[in-house]
Amino acid sequence: MSTHFDATLDVKGAKCPMPLVKSRKAIGDLPVGHVLQVIATDRGSIADFQGWATTAKNIRLVAQETTAEGGQDLYVHYLERTA
Amino acid sequence: MTDLSLMPAPAATAAPAAVAPLTTAPAAPAVVTAAELYAKLLADAPLLIVDVRNPAEFARMRIEGREALDVLNIPYYAFIEDEDDAAAPIPTDREVVVVCAKEGSSEYVAELLAARGMAVSYLAGGFPAWGNHVDVRDVAAGAWGKVIQIARPARGDLSFVVVSDGAAAVIDPLRHTAVYHDTIAAEGASLAVVLDTHVHADHISGGPALAAATGAPYHVHAYDAIHPIDMLPATIPYTSLDDGQTFPIGAVTVTAHWFPGHTLGQFNFRLDAPDGTSALFTGDGIFLRSFGRPDLGGKGEAWTPLLYESLTERLPAIVHPHTLILPAHFSALDEAGADGVFSAPYAAVAATNDALRHRDLAEFTAYVLGHLPVFPPEYVQIKRVNIGLLEAGEQLADELELGKNICALSA
Repeated sequence: MSTHFDATLDVKGAKCPMPLVKSRKAIGDLPVGHVLQVIATDRGSIADFQGWATTAKNIRLVAQETTAEGGQDLYVHYLERTA
Repeated sequence: MTDLSLMPAPAATAAPAAVAPLTTAPAAPAVVTAAELYAKLLADAPLLIVDVRNPAEFARMRIEGREALDVLNIPYYAFIEDEDDAAAPIPTDREVVVVCAKEGSSEYVAELLAARGMAVSYLAGGFPAWGNHVDVRDVAAGAWGKVIQIARPARGDLSFVVVSDGAAAVIDPLRHTAVYHDTIAAEGASLAVVLDTHVHADHISGGPALAAATGAPYHVHAYDAIHPIDMLPATIPYTSLDDGQTFPIGAVTVTAHWFPGHTLGQFNFRLDAPDGTSALFTGDGIFLRSFGRPDLGGKGEAWTPLLYESLTERLPAIVHPHTLILPAHFSALDEAGADGVFSAPYAAVAATNDALRHRDLAEFTAYVLGHLPVFPPEYVQIKRVNIGLLEAGEQLADELELGKNICALSA
């Protein structure tokens, strides 16, 4: 089952902290209730997005999934702007 | 559907300068190496480490120091979310070192803190650089040669090189063996023998690799070459040890003494030099402030009485009061002097190590049972790797060796 999203952010190749810095900015540009899909290659982003979502004021982590593309693992995060 | 296209595809071009909103020019944060950080920890200067990894990583392993070190865990994403809020708990009158999982996030946070006027630096290479940092220093030296301590401070692992008249012995070598080759070469010596006090459960031995690379024999006792849980024999080449066996290393003699308890085949090695210098490489027999737990082979009930005999009868018989105790682990950095050497004469250890206080066997058993820390599940795996029952590549080995050793009884 695929997760619904309204916008997508490609941070493939970006290293910590950039996936999160760019996600923070991107979600601020979305209307409340919209979901941002973030596609990352940094494995550490899984735990970091979980931690961020528990402390952030207006973000809900809807889902996370791991896929592969051309032999490279992709870590896909879905974040909803809640306020 | 909108594509925000915030990020061009090419990898590794993310420069923090592109996002740091710096209009003025604050002092750029300095970079500290793991060696420089370790020197600060040993010197016990007032220092605050701001660890910006996520709480799960922080819980698994953190940088520990002596009295004057404070550590705060403030994940880097807290600074992205609300910088003022995240920075609020950080005092402005302390030297701050920021550490993270790789390096990028600590540099990012250090730049934010520098812009707020703090004296701040960040750790080069991130946490792996600290975890793999190796520290080399002399423990004892004389006309006969020297004993060199090779430590991996993050894990509390200690190993030793004995050098005398061009010959060298390595005791309890750690997984990454380059430092032993380099140290022995720098002393102009060649490796005569590799000794493991026992088959380790907490870290992967460099012994078999050193033996394979140099042709030196690798010794560990046959009792330890059977996996205590699997009951399967070692597939690595090794030569067993005899109680009382001697190894001449140049002008010094190293004598093997059976010391069962932590493992069934645990040995201690005593060095005797012509000038009367005496040292005991105790492995996980006795530590400076504790001793090796007898339960890691899953045979705690049977091995605890053996350990009792080793500590109360065997140990006093193989040391002089001035014999330097050189263990394979430490639990806390303040077990070292400011010189970074983890050793003490037996008389001092006997007087200060609460674990050596006089107890009868029943009291000793109760003490052991009351002070057993968690049994890390990976320790069963590590023993498999150490006797060749399991192959571990670099990534698996790194994962197995995450965290600090838990070989001593708890305080």
